[in-house]
Amino acid sequence: MEVQLELALPSGSGKGSDPNQDCDQRKKRSFEEAFMGVKKKEVDDLHETLPLLIWDGNEEKKQQFDGELLEQKHIPKLAISNNRNAEMEDNFVVVGWPPVKSWRRQFCHQISHRECTTNYVNVENNGGGGGGGRGSNSMYVKVKMEGVGITRKLNLSVHRSYHSLTAKLIAMFGICEENVEKYKLTYQDKEGHWLLARDVPWETFIHSVQRLKLQKMATTFYS
Amino acid sequence: MAYSFPEEVLEHVFSFLSSDKDRNAVSLVCKSWYEIERWCRRRIFVGNCYAVSPGEAAFRGFQPRAGGLGRLRVPVDRGDVGAYPLLEEIKLKRMVVTDECLELISKSFKNFKVLVLSSCEGFTTDGLASIAANCRHLRELDLRESEVEDLSGHWLSHFPDNCTSLVSLNMSCLGSEVSFSALERLVARSPNLRTLRLNRAVPLEKLANLIRRAPQLVELGTGAYSAEIRSDILLNLTEAFSACKQLKGLSGFWDVVPAYLPAMYSVCSGITSLNLSYATIQSFDLVKLVTQCRNLQRLWVLDYIEDSGLEALASSCKDLQELRVFPSDPFGAEPNVSLTEQGLVSVSEGCPKLQSVLYFCRQMSNAALISIAKNRPKMVRFRLCIIEPRAPDYLTLEPLDAGFGAIVENCKELRRLSLSGLLTDRVFKYIGTHAKKLEMLSIAFAGDSDLGLHHVLSGCESLRKLEIRDCPFGDKALLANAAKLETMRSLWMSSCSVSYGACKLLGQKMPTLNVEVIDERGPPDSRPDSCPVERLYVYRMVAGRRVDMPGFVWTMDDEDSGLRFS
Repeated sequence: MEVQLELALPSGSGKGSDPNQDCDQRKKRSFEEAFMGVKKKEVDDLHETLPLLIWDGNEEKKQQFDGELLEQKHIPKLAISNNRNAEMEDNFVVVGWPPVKSWRRQFCHQISHRECTTNYVNVENNGGGGGGGRGSNSMYVKVKMEGVGITRKLNLSVHRSYHSLTAKLIAMFGICEENVEKYKLTYQDKEGHWLLARDVPWETFIHSVQRLKLQKMATTFYS
Repeated sequence: MAYSFPEEVLEHVFSFLSSDKDRNAVSLVCKSWYEIERWCRRRIFVGNCYAVSPGEAAFRGFQPRAGGLGRLRVPVDRGDVGAYPLLEEIKLKRMVVTDECLELISKSFKNFKVLVLSSCEGFTTDGLASIAANCRHLRELDLRESEVEDLSGHWLSHFPDNCTSLVSLNMSCLGSEVSFSALERLVARSPNLRTLRLNRAVPLEKLANLIRRAPQLVELGTGAYSAEIRSDILLNLTEAFSACKQLKGLSGFWDVVPAYLPAMYSVCSGITSLNLSYATIQSFDLVKLVTQCRNLQRLWVLDYIEDSGLEALASSCKDLQELRVFPSDPFGAEPNVSLTEQGLVSVSEGCPKLQSVLYFCRQMSNAALISIAKNRPKMVRFRLCIIEPRAPDYLTLEPLDAGFGAIVENCKELRRLSLSGLLTDRVFKYIGTHAKKLEMLSIAFAGDSDLGLHHVLSGCESLRKLEIRDCPFGDKALLANAAKLETMRSLWMSSCSVSYGACKLLGQKMPTLNVEVIDERGPPDSRPDSCPVERLYVYRMVAGRRVDMPGFVWTMDDEDSGLRFS
């Protein structure tokens, strides 16, 4: 018995997208169809539960929806692609990949920062050189760009100026030159307020930033 | 008084206890009550917190504290504890433990001996101070990989002068400096001390004095292994090490200054376990040390060792059973060291006893995997992490199906496998066909369709734990193999294509499974049934559904509402 399944993923499967609009419910599958109507045998006889869905056994045939899934599925929370654009981030991170434990990740950041000769922002460290303790030298914050469904993550600790951060954001979101002017960088501080990044000195910014957002400027806005 | 009742009578009595609190209390009374209660309980309150910190646990999945394993639930109710003095040992993994709880433990269990907190969090060094101060017979305090809020190193000074029972102390995850004299005195009065893992803050100059007081040590974790180069320090350290005739395991080695490594040479021939995964030294220095350890069975090392170092390892350490190579720069775009698939191939060729591998690298080929498979048919654990997701065979640009296929086909004893690189449904067909002893499988960014998952679930007879992220696996395979889930310990799927509707169905129709949807976008029923869930966690219910879930976890119930959340 062949089971038709039509599933569609939201077109922007990251946080921030509106799932209600994006989910496409084309053919609602009747789960009851899957049950063959076989009566449950006596408890003594029954040694295995019946599958909730009967595999159609036709393994080689790819159903239509598989293709759709394939096309849409390649986007996890943070998009990755094998054909890397040279402009794209070298700082790009898929959350939780590679699967190294958190203290090792912190340790790796310490190594790479030591190899860097310039100063880096030292996020609060609980004394003693932080041998795997709570002191962290990485500062991943979420970055959202207005109009883009997928939220990204960015390591702020490798940046030391707005200039460097802006350049990274432009590369990360692939913003073309003429559009750069149309966005302003805002950030959410520890109190939850959204502020304009460039209004404060870098030091202040880096110590209070919790997340970032690239917001489209209203056309009547005067900069 | 417990012994005067036949077990069946007790069992009958216990069966009337419906509250978790009472149940847990009963199970803590004594071993026989614990056993009896365990047989007849249906609900176990599992008081753990599924903290979600994106990126940390995402791939590893969560571990429920399945009841009936002698693990204390947290938090501990105040009333019960005092009456049950027999508890001696608490071992927790990935749980939230508070200072209050630690204090309660330390004051309530007079015979308390062993505390192991593995990857736990939620407590501070104040909690440790309570344990140190109050547990008169403490034998083991092991904080492996826990996240402790480090307020100060003063906690260690709370061990009373008459505490002489310590056998094992692992404080390597802590940041703060402890009072060195307190540490020295503690070590000196602990004749049974076998394992001592220091934290980074313990300076090298002081290490000699410490180990001089504990020549019976079997496992030592150093602090930072660096000091300005002085011959007196080196001499002191060399002498101290040479007195440690029982030393088998070494770890620590933060900030290594290579000039001090020779201090350890006298013990190298006895060393079976060496953890150099924090030693940021070059291949040349690593090799000099490692090749001294002719009886080495386990090596954890950074990829600084490079292919050449691994080749040297393969020539010298013929007893090697386990190799773990960690990345020094996992997030860099370009390789920073010359470590490739060749290193692993060399070790597989040269080390006849190799059975456990964890290897992070940036390129792999089918040819290399086939070679490894043929060299080491007795492989038991094979975890390969190619850093770039979906990286193909770098020589042929093909998927790595054939390579991993060779692994499962040749290595018939394989119990644990982690895949990476470019993989199609074909690799899962191989796995389902051959990996009959496989118990744990980790999959990421792999497969083409539900067929992949179906192969695994229908073919891997011994499968207990399956964790999947970012794969195009959906409802079909999951629902067709729902019964399989009852034979497994757990299934974790994140960023796949499993719809909310399917989760509900699974929860409704499989009453012995806990089906949990973890979604930070808000309640899943605010979205259509066809919408895929962010994360799905399915595990066999030992007894009862969880009631303590945080706000972004929903249980798929057997009630019609299909949804119950805290």
